Amino acid sequence: MILTGLVLLVLALAGTPLFAIIAASALLGFARGGVDPMAVVGEFFRIADMPVLLAIPLFTFAGYLLSESGAPKRLVRLSNALLSWLPGGLALVALVTCALFTAFTGASGVTIVAVGALLYPAFRHAGYEERFSLGLLTTGGSLGLLFPPSLPLILYGVVAGTNVDRLFLAGVLPGLVMVLLLGVWCLHQGGRIQEGAPFSWREAGAALAAAAWELPLPLLVLGGVYSGVFAVSEVAAVTALYVTVVEVGVHREVTWRQLPGVMRESAVLVGGILVILGASLASTNYLIDAQVPEKLFAFVTTHVASKFTFLVVLNIFLLILGMILDIFSAVVIVVPLVLPLAAGYGIDPLHLGMIFLANMQIGYSTPPVGMNLFIASYRFGKPVLELYRASLPFVLLLLLAVLVITYVPALSLLLVRR
Amino acid sequence: MSIRSSPGPKVLSLLRRLEEGALVGMLAGMIVLAVTQIVLRNVLGGGLVWADPLLRLAVLWLGMAGAALASREGRHIAIDTLPRLLPPRARAGVRLVTDLFTAAVAALLARHATRLVLADRAADATAFSGVPAWLAEAVLPVAFAVVAWRYLAMAWRDGRELARRAG
Repeated sequence: MILTGLVLLVLALAGTPLFAIIAASALLGFARGGVDPMAVVGEFFRIADMPVLLAIPLFTFAGYLLSESGAPKRLVRLSNALLSWLPGGLALVALVTCALFTAFTGASGVTIVAVGALLYPAFRHAGYEERFSLGLLTTGGSLGLLFPPSLPLILYGVVAGTNVDRLFLAGVLPGLVMVLLLGVWCLHQGGRIQEGAPFSWREAGAALAAAAWELPLPLLVLGGVYSGVFAVSEVAAVTALYVTVVEVGVHREVTWRQLPGVMRESAVLVGGILVILGASLASTNYLIDAQVPEKLFAFVTTHVASKFTFLVVLNIFLLILGMILDIFSAVVIVVPLVLPLAAGYGIDPLHLGMIFLANMQIGYSTPPVGMNLFIASYRFGKPVLELYRASLPFVLLLLLAVLVITYVPALSLLLVRR
Repeated sequence: MSIRSSPGPKVLSLLRRLEEGALVGMLAGMIVLAVTQIVLRNVLGGGLVWADPLLRLAVLWLGMAGAALASREGRHIAIDTLPRLLPPRARAGVRLVTDLFTAAVAALLARHATRLVLADRAADATAFSGVPAWLAEAVLPVAFAVVAWRYLAMAWRDGRELARRAG
């Protein structure tokens, strides 16, 4: 059993698609437990039993479509018009834009491509150091992951069996903590370089008018869910239709002919996520049958006495996990194991979700697998190591944010317990 | 072996376009149906009974079709940092192993999915609103078979690459 585990681990590190690794372990586990392996496929079919999952393809499509349109440009212009009177305002513009955009594109790397590429020349033009600009735009690629309607939030809700509506609310304050911490640093650094420009009411008005069609989107998502008028998948459907009408019909920046290409790209991402989810539904089922969570719980409780220590251990574990696994696989594979543990220490599943995703967000910008590093390296034409060095101060600030989120549960729970 | 001329590639490219067309149609249909359902529910006070289960099923179908498409381009989620550091020849060798393994797992899944479909067909099980369960599940064996086939094809290319670099 240990041997097959090792073989699978080596295969995973050699670049085998993770769904195949998880499915193989499920097939082996079922066979060993004397269960017909047909049940593995039966577990895949449970994907068709989860109403919230409908939100994933619809939000993915909306996010991809937004990134193909002129929306990133309008968002940058608007935040520039509203924030550039501050010394170091441009850095703040980058933070806000990245966070908003990532929430809609689900931290799939689209932010760096769509927003980062727009902002990088502006940074250099305003006299920011190369290292600061690169670091900010690289880590910014996953900032906003905790804001609705990000895909990892939805996926966590599905896997943990938590209400996605409540998760959407839980993520708001922790996400703001991240933006605020980085914002203070940016104003401090940027203030020395860039003086505030005089505020222009005319430009602010014009930028607002230009972005008028996209502005209702965050309100639609949060308002729709918060007021209880729409279910999450309904908000996703309305968002997808609205974005199509606006970008294809009104702005005409994406043509009808380009639309199938965008749909195709979103389907590839959705397929990649769902096939891992399906496989891990089966492998989790096997783990529960083998009482792995109970054994894990017994093991951990004998070695970790207090909730405080548990949270320290959890953070270290999740940080390492985030360095190796991408966020979607990590959620799907590890949450079922960590959830009962955390519940044993009295940690709310909503709070656990924030801790989990906040840690994973850091993994985006750390070697060896950090996706932001690779996308930024490709986009800005810089070596990965240089980007890593540039990201380091931002990563340290995010770590601080993770600690705050971990040890102040009220941040995650305040809005939910209205 | 030389690359085959038509009709092979022509049929294949037709199938590919069919695959992408089906995918696009499905996603577009999902958006339209989901929004229609909201309108009906809020205006008429009741939606279509079959719409919600159909939408849930469409997520599975879209996901499996997307997974098959991701296989065509080798774009499944994987930890690909280490192989990137290897020299080209070793990389081709490692890929040959991982692609063969993936093909084997997918083939096994396709086999068990086929058994599931046949069993539900024999049992005459219903998924929802008169849709037979075997039909709802039919996407699983087909998609997994396509995934297996595509990874096998990739393994074939890896093998040739390996032979070229060795020879």
